[in-house]
Amino acid sequence: MNDEAFAALVREHAPRVRALCAATLGDAEEAEDAAQVTFLKAHRALDRFTGGASIATWLHRIAVNECLDRLRAAGRRRSDSLDALLEADSSALGAVLAEASPAQALEDRDTVDRLLARLNPEQRLALTLREADGLSYEEIAQAMSCSLDSVKARIKRARAELLEMTRHFSGSDNV
Amino acid sequence: MTHEQIHGRLSEWLDGELDPAASAAASRHIDDCPACKGEAARLRRLARALFTAPAPADPRSTEAFVARVMARVEADAVSPWERFAARVLAPSFGLALAGLLLTIALPPADEDDVLGVEFSVDSVFGEAP
Repeated sequence: MNDEAFAALVREHAPRVRALCAATLGDAEEAEDAAQVTFLKAHRALDRFTGGASIATWLHRIAVNECLDRLRAAGRRRSDSLDALLEADSSALGAVLAEASPAQALEDRDTVDRLLARLNPEQRLALTLREADGLSYEEIAQAMSCSLDSVKARIKRARAELLEMTRHFSGSDNV
Repeated sequence: MTHEQIHGRLSEWLDGELDPAASAAASRHIDDCPACKGEAARLRRLARALFTAPAPADPRSTEAFVARVMARVEADAVSPWERFAARVLAPSFGLALAGLLLTIALPPADEDDVLGVEFSVDSVFGEAP
């Protein structure tokens, strides 16, 4: 594939790959680098692409693996600042989950990122692929190279942990 | 399905991942069960709170992204031989050159005895009779 054809491929698939990296990684700079590296890896592996899956699926899988690697690395160097802000972040989430308020998005994306960073990387990625990318469990299982049961368990556990954070800090079951 | 079974599968129900019969049974139960109904509502709010639909891609931003990717691809597009040359041969050549320059720059201890062995017509052919 010549440079012109590869640039056209990047142009076509960049929006989805960038959106996935942004939703999964939170940090804009890191997400942008992950998206670029996804295409760089794809370019290196083009001759090994067999055409068994669509190019979109293949690129998506490379992006998922890149994000997972970065989430794992971030988990290993997780800073104390996460713990310091847990109470404030959980309270913010608890407030928008309260039944009295209209359902809305958390406005501070850093808060969202810190809350999601408390999940283990596999849980966070599975939940993001479901909620932000709209994938079915079957598609998530393929993207993450895991079983359907693992996907069910990861998504269920991720949601339970997030709800649990708000319960713990609000001291109520009604958040 | 019992309350516990349905409560344990609320996440799948919410995502439309139950088969039609199980989904219908769960829906009937959730309508009548305050605990399951409340939990399902919280799960929906959770999704709304944390995940927003991605903004449509800006074409200018996409073009800039394509340019950055292609620049990295170009920088990456060196042959294995070039990579070997850059990583191994270049430093080796540098060391060899440095050695040669040192040899030239530093005069030998005895300029008449460069190799440390005395050579003369006599030493090679023996003394003349």
